[in-house]
Amino acid sequence: MIDVANLTKYYGDFAAVRDVTFSVGKGEVVGFLGPNGAGKSTTMRMLTGYLVPSGGRAVVAGCDVLEEPLRARSLIGYMPENCPLYPDMRVEEYLAFRAGIKGVHGARSRARVAECMEKCWLTGVRRQLVGTLSKGYRQRVGLADALVGDPPVLILDEPTSGLDPTQIIETRRLIAELGREHTVLVSTHILSEVEKTCTRAVIIARGKVLAQGTLGELCPPGQSLEKMFLDLVEEREAVGA
Amino acid sequence: MLGTINSIGVLALAVGALAGLAMLAAAGTALWKARSLLHKEFFSYFLSPIAYAVLVVFLGVQGWLVAGTLDLLIASGPRGVEWPLQHWLSSPVFWLVFLAACPLLTMRTFAEEKASGTLEMLMTSPLSDWQVVLAKYAGCLLFYMVLWLPTVVYLPILAGVSFGWTGLSSTADLAPVFTTYLGLFLAGAMFLAMGVCVSSMVRDQLVAAQASLALGVVFLAGSFAANAMDGGTGYQLAYYLSVPLHFDRAFTRGVVDLRPVTLYATVGLFSLFLTVRSLESRRYA
Repeated sequence: MIDVANLTKYYGDFAAVRDVTFSVGKGEVVGFLGPNGAGKSTTMRMLTGYLVPSGGRAVVAGCDVLEEPLRARSLIGYMPENCPLYPDMRVEEYLAFRAGIKGVHGARSRARVAECMEKCWLTGVRRQLVGTLSKGYRQRVGLADALVGDPPVLILDEPTSGLDPTQIIETRRLIAELGREHTVLVSTHILSEVEKTCTRAVIIARGKVLAQGTLGELCPPGQSLEKMFLDLVEEREAVGA
Repeated sequence: MLGTINSIGVLALAVGALAGLAMLAAAGTALWKARSLLHKEFFSYFLSPIAYAVLVVFLGVQGWLVAGTLDLLIASGPRGVEWPLQHWLSSPVFWLVFLAACPLLTMRTFAEEKASGTLEMLMTSPLSDWQVVLAKYAGCLLFYMVLWLPTVVYLPILAGVSFGWTGLSSTADLAPVFTTYLGLFLAGAMFLAMGVCVSSMVRDQLVAAQASLALGVVFLAGSFAANAMDGGTGYQLAYYLSVPLHFDRAFTRGVVDLRPVTLYATVGLFSLFLTVRSLESRRYA
């Protein structure tokens, strides 16, 4: 569903992402794992069309992100980091607005919005102003927004950042559930999250992919993911960018 | 010889009109696709205090000016006014308020989205850059029309306009009314387009407002100096650029002068084009 080949992004002279190659198959939940500043958000922004890559190719659900950008974007449900929302709109209004932007109008829009609100446990706050919601609820609105167009691919940038433990568990359960119907690419720097929700993981640090594969392949039994991850990242840093 | 020039002119006008219609059709399709964004933009004006502040000051000034014009109209002796609308719209107070109002309406169109991060949501949505810009601009323009709507109330008083069994009739000449509103719509469209363009290039709303104000002054400055000039090339240049003179000389007198209309159309379209390019350039940052 997502095929990335040699994706590169330079900010001036600084290479944020260099020759990143990975793929996500249909129905998989892949964890995009890396320390802060590794290039996870940049890669996701290139996949969703917010940034244009300096080199390489990205194909999402059969559409090349550079050749058919609008069609590719219509097939992706994106939730950026820090989940930006409009504080003056009500939850229901906001989701209806986003549904309209994604081409879902009228009765179908009302049905989809109600469905997404129920899936993300937002029905209780449907008439509340987004600006008055707590962080957990805002993340849920962002998730509902990503779902409202019923896209085959979901790209979620740190969906559990800033949430309390109960909310984290709920969100992870939701992501695992979504993985049954959608293809999901989740970025995170929390290792336990990858262990609990993802079928495969791609480890990225300083703009380069260090390892990818199923959790079984990545760390042999007996070794924790954390140790493997730290070893990889330290090795990378020792070798130098 | 004159016949050929005439027919070339007519041909040019026809081509221009066709191109204009094609652009309108394209804009219409874009706006239809982005109708959700347009709806949100327009109605969010009614949620912001700045829009109400602009509305109150704008209409307050209008009321005061119309009252002044009315005084002159009903005054006895040699104090009459030939073109009521011209007297109303040539007041510098009106133009200063107009100059200030447009940046205040457009300052948050893109600057706020950039500051809050919601621009990323818009740019990763299945809407093209033109659709986003046109939808936001149309939202501004619609609110600008709402700003002018209450002034229709003055028409029965100023121009004796009435709507009866036989349709629209008036005691004064009706043509200036239509041409003035057309001129106001087009001039406003230009200032709003410039404001949207500036808003897309800066992060801070206040900086956007101030820069749009400064840009707007360029189109107003000539009119203050024009009275001191004789009808030479200096005056011609001032006329081409200064919007109050367009209203003074043409729109409020029932004349649709195509020279100002061309200015409004070209500056407006160019500003929107720059806005789209500015958005696009963010992807290559």
